[in-house]
Amino acid sequence: MRILPSHLLALLSVALVSPECNLLALPAENAPKAVLDAKHLALLKDHCHACHNADKQKGKFRIDDLSLELADARTAERWKKVLASLNAGEMPPEDEKQPSKEAKADFLDDLAKTLVVAQRNLNDSRGVVTMRRLNRREYANTLEALFGMRPAVDELPSDTGANHFDTAGSSLLMSGDQFDQYLELGRAAVAEAFERHDHAGTVKTKRIEAETGVLEAVAKSVKERTEGRRNFMLWKHAVDAAAARPENRAAVEALRKELKDVHEATYHRWDKVPGAPSPAKYGFTDAFHALHVGQGQWAQVPYQAWFLSMPENRTGTWLTIGDVFVRPYFSFNLDGWPAGDYVVRLRVAASDKVDARRRFLEFGTGAGNPFNHDSRHAVTGTLESPQIIEIPITLHPSGSRSFFVRERGTHDADANPPKRFGIGQQETGVGPDFAIWLDYVEAERLPAKPAAPGMQAIASVLGDAKTVVTPEDLRKALDAFCVEAFRGKHPSAAFLDRLQAIYADHRQHTGNHRTALKETLALTLASPRFLYLNEPQAAGILPAVAKAERSGNLGAEELAIRLSYFLWGAPPDAELRTAAASGALHDPEGLQKQTDRLLADPRAQGWIRPFLHQWLRMERLDFFRFNGNRYPFFDVSAKEAARTEVFETFAYLLRENRSIGELLRADSVVVDSLLANYYGIEGVSGDGFRPVKLPDGSPRGGLLGMAAILAMGSNGEHTNPVERGAWVLRKLLNDPPAPAPANVPQLTRLQDKLITTRERLTLHQEQPQCASCHRRIDPIGFGLENFDAAGQWRTEDSYERAGLGRKTWQIEPAGAFHNGPAFQDYQELRELIFARTEAFARGFSTALLEYALGHSAGFTDEPLIDHMVAQSRARGFQIRHFVHALVGSKEFQSK
Amino acid sequence: MNTRRQFLRSSTALIALPFLESFGFRRFAAAAAPATPPKRLIFLGMGYGVTKETWYPDVKQTGSDYVLPPGLAPLARHKADFTVIQGLSNRYSEDAHTGSTFWLTGANSHEGGASFRNTISADQVAAAAFGKETRFASLQLNGSDKDLSGPGHGTGLSLAWDNRGKPIAGLNSPLALFHRLFSPEQLPLDQLRLRMAQKRSLLDAVLTEAQDLQRGLAKNDIEKLDEYFQGIREIEQRLAKDETWQSAPKPTAPLAQPPDNRSGTDEIRLMYDLMVAALQTDSTRVLTFRLPIASLLTSLGVKVAAHDMSHYSPGERMEASQKRDAAHTELLAHLLDKLKGVPQPDGSRLFDHTTVVFGSNLSHVHTLTNCPTLIAGGGAGIQLGQHLVVSKDTPLCNAWLSLLQGSGVPVERHGDSSGPLKELFA
Repeated sequence: MRILPSHLLALLSVALVSPECNLLALPAENAPKAVLDAKHLALLKDHCHACHNADKQKGKFRIDDLSLELADARTAERWKKVLASLNAGEMPPEDEKQPSKEAKADFLDDLAKTLVVAQRNLNDSRGVVTMRRLNRREYANTLEALFGMRPAVDELPSDTGANHFDTAGSSLLMSGDQFDQYLELGRAAVAEAFERHDHAGTVKTKRIEAETGVLEAVAKSVKERTEGRRNFMLWKHAVDAAAARPENRAAVEALRKELKDVHEATYHRWDKVPGAPSPAKYGFTDAFHALHVGQGQWAQVPYQAWFLSMPENRTGTWLTIGDVFVRPYFSFNLDGWPAGDYVVRLRVAASDKVDARRRFLEFGTGAGNPFNHDSRHAVTGTLESPQIIEIPITLHPSGSRSFFVRERGTHDADANPPKRFGIGQQETGVGPDFAIWLDYVEAERLPAKPAAPGMQAIASVLGDAKTVVTPEDLRKALDAFCVEAFRGKHPSAAFLDRLQAIYADHRQHTGNHRTALKETLALTLASPRFLYLNEPQAAGILPAVAKAERSGNLGAEELAIRLSYFLWGAPPDAELRTAAASGALHDPEGLQKQTDRLLADPRAQGWIRPFLHQWLRMERLDFFRFNGNRYPFFDVSAKEAARTEVFETFAYLLRENRSIGELLRADSVVVDSLLANYYGIEGVSGDGFRPVKLPDGSPRGGLLGMAAILAMGSNGEHTNPVERGAWVLRKLLNDPPAPAPANVPQLTRLQDKLITTRERLTLHQEQPQCASCHRRIDPIGFGLENFDAAGQWRTEDSYERAGLGRKTWQIEPAGAFHNGPAFQDYQELRELIFARTEAFARGFSTALLEYALGHSAGFTDEPLIDHMVAQSRARGFQIRHFVHALVGSKEFQSK
Repeated sequence: MNTRRQFLRSSTALIALPFLESFGFRRFAAAAAPATPPKRLIFLGMGYGVTKETWYPDVKQTGSDYVLPPGLAPLARHKADFTVIQGLSNRYSEDAHTGSTFWLTGANSHEGGASFRNTISADQVAAAAFGKETRFASLQLNGSDKDLSGPGHGTGLSLAWDNRGKPIAGLNSPLALFHRLFSPEQLPLDQLRLRMAQKRSLLDAVLTEAQDLQRGLAKNDIEKLDEYFQGIREIEQRLAKDETWQSAPKPTAPLAQPPDNRSGTDEIRLMYDLMVAALQTDSTRVLTFRLPIASLLTSLGVKVAAHDMSHYSPGERMEASQKRDAAHTELLAHLLDKLKGVPQPDGSRLFDHTTVVFGSNLSHVHTLTNCPTLIAGGGAGIQLGQHLVVSKDTPLCNAWLSLLQGSGVPVERHGDSSGPLKELFA
């Protein structure tokens, strides 16, 4: 039996370069050698050499002369073929003697690992940090620093990839199309900055009472539906009467037989019932419409009547559950308002009669958008004492000016709203009790912030469309703008000449100063000194040739830029530039001080979020939509809160400079009230994430107890223990199994067998080529089975299959690491993982280095990783020491 | 303009001189149709793979005598005019969410230690050979899904990658394609010329700046900056081509302007009709279309999310996958009908000179072997009406090589090809 096709083949095809390729195709000096243990020779001799030798060369392939050392790409490629054909079960051929399962699994395990080492050696960047362009988020951050507002940059490629950080220079490409996009985005950004500037003094306020028009609309709907129901009943009776006629009995029976799956066959096919009238006579377009109005819509009328009876709807409005008519959402718009910063205020209250999980609202842009929202808020106000929620928003020159307010999770993926409605209907017989009451929505323009550096630079020439500026003034302003845009560097005189010529040309042809200025500035934002993080040697000191030897350290300005793009994903601010100019960054204490300042700044989110998202592979959280029927309260709000927990926990540990080990085990969590509620933690109310002490015995605390991490190891329906186990090995234990292979037949639960997940997975380990990885991965995944797909604690699981029934079983988390210690349950597993904090620290250091230096870690980087681990170990693995060790290193400070 | 050309020539050896014979070069589609109809190529990439159980024919039935599986059933009327091949794959492909990034390139993404790289796609090889004759060397089309470069298709701006392995942007709606093909330029000629001149002075300015920056850089940084120069050069070439064509009126549209904001099956059908019109008017000879995924499902009334569908197992998800297969096949049958309905000057049909490829780098779920490959049309002279099963792991690029060669493109290899697929010409 062959279960697996050549699934390991694809994964190891990763980076083994073709032999004629570049310099890097040979390992760095002193790199650990990629050598297979000589003990495997016996297996190769016994099972391979007879056919694959100098004389026979079956399949034009020799193994007898294959070196055990994978020193170059050609050898590695050949070993990959060996691995592939063994994995595929093709070799040795079925009619030949087979190696023992254990020996084969061990050999495959070793070979896969050796290939990984070989690949790492061949990919070693030798510590060179190559110039790179800004990635998408850095580009947006940089424009924000320049103009004081965040542009939309969705059109640009995201720059994230499966196997690298978005800081990896070699993957940050540039093309003609992209240049044109930068030009366009630059024009849009400048136009927006101008619009904001021109409206600096504009005052705008608006308030909408939430009850406006609501009762009237609902009452009108009730009237229409009542009428519709009456017409429907008249039609229904007429059809029933026709169907009941004795002479029609045969026709009706035939119809019912033909449409045995169709409920209410006689109405759907009224035309087959002689004498039945057309629904058109009663005002319906067809039978489907008649049934929809007369039954579906009618069923909601009691709920509408209830809504009408609520006195609170005279002074505000209760929000209702989406899809189910009354008022699907509350929307208001700010049409015609100019670009700028605004605050929206909601006066709201929550009912004390409803499930606490429902006392949250979602706020967002674009009234038609069903899934995503911009922010979510706990509603703590009561009808007696409503609260006011303030939400800052930004309006761009174009884009939606409509906003919605709704109860959380009531406009999610299809299953959620009906499910929620159903839960409420069971409770009250009519529909869900009303949870959130809205009094009014108010918006107000915020006073303009002080001009951002880019706008300051051109303040003297901004003028208006008709303004005439002298060439001297213009040149001065353009130079100042370039200095800001180019992170402290002056443009060349030749570039300024060109810019002035472009300005003059456009001024002449359009007759508009602003248009000409916009075009000129936009070009600056598409030029290489803006788009590339370039690190030339201090001007004139070293000739370009010498730099190829990587002899020099970074200049102070370049170091400041590298530091701020690492920790903020944004350019240095004035203080950092001043510190650089004073030479403070070349002094370890001065550098540490600035590093700490950057880490304490809110802009550090520009490191925390993208780094964690990519390091922990959190894109998986968005791979699957969660089944609303199974997990009605793991809605978009809960998912977003869960995602934020990962970032906020890290931010908290960083702020308090706590141990990285607290990501493995902790006695507190950092949650907001929505997530506390999801985890069943009492005593947390209101918005905002904060540390909360956990009750004894709680499974929460640390990454493994986080809903986001657990949900990533699922497919939105069921848990995926293999995914979870592999993630733990990769991210927590720094002991990655070979990369996720493609071509694996997934564990579809399609076998017509009612067996447990563990039984199903264990079947995999019968094949040695599968066992070589799964014996390491699966036990850890099983240890996490007490968490369901949405991260809730459970003690049993079940499997259901139509026609077979349902099997329910108790979760058995006990297991053991491969060739390692045993654990009885999740808590013991967590302790064992926590005991390996140093391995985790090493993995973290490696990721940090790759992110900061923009290349994958090779042997050359090992000493720095050692240093980072040692430095932080000496201080109990406090998070900031990893950063300090990295930032203070020669590698970080040189080209 | 001399300074810029000289600069491009001298600044870096890797930049070839833009080839500007163009000012005197006049050969418009409107002028005279060539005696022998030219060869055309269409690549349709679907992203996620197919439903294995119902899309692939039985491997035991090869040749012309095979039973069409349910997933291909809507193509029954064209059965003698297309060939399905099993056994092809891109051996370097490893990312199981990437159905399009390497589909036409066969690149080893990590060669030379890169974390991501790509190489030229087969359509662009053809465009380089055929493109001089037409207003557009090639046209890249995308479905209007919001994020088409996520799981399913993978990284890219369209199916096409240029000769340096950089992504080429595409048009995202039938309406945009219609305007590109048929809408006359709004600006009078002198305005157009002014706009081009202005664009050139923008390029001159950034080149000046790039040149200045380059002086202080180390060798590997200079190589990185070279991508920027290359990007500018692409725009230069595009401008030169635009210049050649700007005084020639666009052809009259052989069909009505499509409505805006159509998605799913409507969008694909409109796009197919326009693709035929593009070939019919000889506006281009090479087209790629990165098909929509999510909006297609929505238009089919499928409630399952796209990625969930790709992880199908019996039940709702598998049904969704099969519905999607059927929709694609029906639309493809429509496209072939259209191509057969366009007569050529010599009395043959457009279909006889066009190659249509439908497929993906993913076969099903997360599997990257046995890439679904369906080829129709007489453009490359392959044997049609066949079900071919080639030996396992035959390079998919062998198929691309065969089609390129069969269409008259003088290439000896493409991607990781080891030679043309002899079976196609048996």
